[in-house]
Amino acid sequence: MSATTASPTKTNTSEIGQQIRNNFQTYALVVAMLVLWFLFFFLTNGIYLSAQNFSNLFRQMTITAVLSVGMVLVIVAGHIDLSVGRLAGFVSVVVAYLQAYTWNKYMPGAPEWFTTSLSVLCGLGVGTLYGVLHGYIIGYLRVPAFITTLASMWILNGLILIRTAGRTIPANQPLFSYIGQGYLPAMAGWILAIIVAILLFIQMFNGRQRRVKYGFTLAPFYQDILKTAFLAAIVFGYVGYVNAYSGVQVPVLILAIIAVIVSYVSNNTRFGRYTYAIGGNREAARLSGISIRQNTFAIFVLMGFLCGVSGVIIASYVGYGTIAAGTSYELFAIAACILGGTSTLGGVGTIFGAMIGALIMASLTNGLQIMNVQAAWQYVVSGVVLVAAVYVDMALKKSRG
Amino acid sequence: MENNVILEFKNVTKKFPGITALDDVSFSIRRGEIHGICGENGAGKSTLMKILSGVYPWGSYEGQVIYEGHELKLVDRSIHQAGQEGIAIVYQELTLVPSITVGENIYLGKEPVEFGVINWDKLYADTQQVLDKYHLDVPARGIVRHLGVGKMQMTEIAKALAENAKVLILDEPTSALAEAEIEQLMEILRGLKQHGVTCIYISHKLEEFFKITDSITVLRDGKTVITRPARELNVEALVHNMVGREMKERFPKGNRKPGEVILEVEDLHAIDPEDPSYEVLKGVSFNLRRGEILGIAGLMGSGRTELVMTLFGEYGKINKGKIKLNGREITVPNSREAMLQGISLVPEDRKMHGLVLIQSILRNISLANLDQFSSLFRINDSAELKVSTDFAKSLAIKASNLNAPADSLSGGNQQKVVISKWLMSQPKVLIMDDPTRGIDVGTKYEIYKIMNDLSEKGIAIIMISSELEEVLGMSDRVMVMREGRSVGTLDIAEATQEKIMALATGIASQPIPER
Repeated sequence: MSATTASPTKTNTSEIGQQIRNNFQTYALVVAMLVLWFLFFFLTNGIYLSAQNFSNLFRQMTITAVLSVGMVLVIVAGHIDLSVGRLAGFVSVVVAYLQAYTWNKYMPGAPEWFTTSLSVLCGLGVGTLYGVLHGYIIGYLRVPAFITTLASMWILNGLILIRTAGRTIPANQPLFSYIGQGYLPAMAGWILAIIVAILLFIQMFNGRQRRVKYGFTLAPFYQDILKTAFLAAIVFGYVGYVNAYSGVQVPVLILAIIAVIVSYVSNNTRFGRYTYAIGGNREAARLSGISIRQNTFAIFVLMGFLCGVSGVIIASYVGYGTIAAGTSYELFAIAACILGGTSTLGGVGTIFGAMIGALIMASLTNGLQIMNVQAAWQYVVSGVVLVAAVYVDMALKKSRG
Repeated sequence: MENNVILEFKNVTKKFPGITALDDVSFSIRRGEIHGICGENGAGKSTLMKILSGVYPWGSYEGQVIYEGHELKLVDRSIHQAGQEGIAIVYQELTLVPSITVGENIYLGKEPVEFGVINWDKLYADTQQVLDKYHLDVPARGIVRHLGVGKMQMTEIAKALAENAKVLILDEPTSALAEAEIEQLMEILRGLKQHGVTCIYISHKLEEFFKITDSITVLRDGKTVITRPARELNVEALVHNMVGREMKERFPKGNRKPGEVILEVEDLHAIDPEDPSYEVLKGVSFNLRRGEILGIAGLMGSGRTELVMTLFGEYGKINKGKIKLNGREITVPNSREAMLQGISLVPEDRKMHGLVLIQSILRNISLANLDQFSSLFRINDSAELKVSTDFAKSLAIKASNLNAPADSLSGGNQQKVVISKWLMSQPKVLIMDDPTRGIDVGTKYEIYKIMNDLSEKGIAIIMISSELEEVLGMSDRVMVMREGRSVGTLDIAEATQEKIMALATGIASQPIPER
């Protein structure tokens, strides 16, 4: 979880103060999450933060968190996507079907690495293609996203029923299961942590060099060092702790890579900037020469691709494709975004915030499960917490003027 | 005699930071008359109306408004209270709900109910009664969207009258109407007069005053210049009173040397893309030279904004005529294409169209120009910050930090952000639609200096302005528009406010009515 690195850091100390104020909401959210963790830590006599549960907690959040990475951009641009849960579900069913029947039938004896790769590619392809369809209908035909994706939800529901014919489709080949259930060997985890740390420092030095080149004053060296070292320490701490159980979880690694890339894209590419501008003021963006159609199209293609990723992880993690796969995940994804500070009015929201939002939701569900709270009450508590959290956030914003 | 006065302004003064919008305004309106109010944009007409409607509540201005013998004390933003007092406004922009019927609109928010259920029969019966009484030819059960603009306006008037309005304020009622509809409106107003309703009539079309009003008040720079019976005045006298003031040194002297022609527009016709039957431009021709400032003057609705938006590829669908840039005919299907050709536009409404208010100043400045900083995918944010900072400095944008949100800036500085954004795209032609609207005098001066600088560097500027003084103070030539046409271009040496007004209102082409 090192998605923070992508935020554009500017110079000198007063601006860092400014940055802290700007990101107040994100920090408040992290604090809220830590409070929640400690609360459950005491309520469960420490089981909650044991290495095993800590590891599970992060793995549980990945499926909806992958969806909320894309959902942030969808909501920031002023749209919504109600079909992501069912699309991910459909992808999981398609992938499970391929794993269970297709490859055996047409390519008996093909090596497992080959069929698994093919399944993954097909899963990502189906998601992306559906995203292309959404992008065309919403971006070019200008049918509102709410309606388009609501319709997709029904369509995909039907397609899932047709494909499964009401049965569960097994998909539990070892290599395929590794995607959603696997762990990196401890040594690989450490090597990964070292690589990430090195990249963080390189990024910092590059940034400083660039700023010198353009004649900006630099932040004090120790400040940048401390900041980078702090991030690196979090990465090492995380790897160390999950290694104490089984190692770095493969799906969490996938999520981290996606979150970092999309976060970087959202800040440092035209596509990302235009998305925020369109959500902030559509007319001003249009008059600035931005093609709203193209941008909307790209957003939904990305969303479709991420549904593909999520669907592959579902099939692999659960071990089969079912009718219920992905049901109501869209709501979790949307809730994670809103909890993470994404504005329903558009124009505002970060991937990092949504990740914390997803983690809070997972933490809550996980904690209640450990405490043996009935599933029915878990829903009630989650609902109350969501509304309360958003209200508190609004109140804080108001009190700060 | 005292009883004859329904509304009286006594020494009303309204100040905004840096501007005095109304300065000791005193005049009175007699019961049952049609009282015209005229003045240039910014003369204080709309401020006066906002006081009457409660947008600027009692206590936020100095002086008194006496209505029916007592002081009018409206609380904050209470349009309802003004309505209860019997003062109703028919706005320039109609405020009806288009998807429901005339009757529903008239009684919106005050539907007759019995046990919580709307009594539709009574509602439509009452509606019909109001319509009949004032001879308004509108179907009570017609859906508003299907009515023409003229009937919509009648509905709006009926809505005001249904509240038993004693004073009806009409703000530019004819700006969107066709000739026949205007005649109908005049007939209705004469009818209202017979029913004892007092009307305040605001318009830019000066001839109208002499068709309909009993007396006229002229405002200028927030002061009342005259209040007189209409029969003692004529159009020339009005124009003279509206503009008659000495020019102060409000405009910096430029050292412009217009070069060769860069942009030529020949007999441009364009239609509204939403409503193909509506021709917004009916023949506009002009040319523009390098390093020149061309002012475009015209009344509201004359097609000025529509013209520049069409040149920028974002509004009209061109169905006749040519645009030539550097002697070569071009097409501008959208704003991006316009930018690539070298045409930039600082839009009229900077908050709605110019800025993403919630984003930082930096991101606003660079928004239209990210291509410059992008290699393949990545934006070089250091280069972005450097170039944006340079622009912010050269235009003297006053901000603590370029990462502050754009809506934390004053109007003038916001406008500089919009200008920076468009300068960064290195335009050959810079269109500025009312660039100093709502900006204080000091910052206006700075923006004028920026415009001089740019034109001295060879950029050709088209400036739309509603303030004649500004047009005369800044332009090398002035093109005047009326009803979607260019009706004349004046060299600055020969241009006067009177000549521009004459062209803009069209009174030059017809004999001035003698009264």
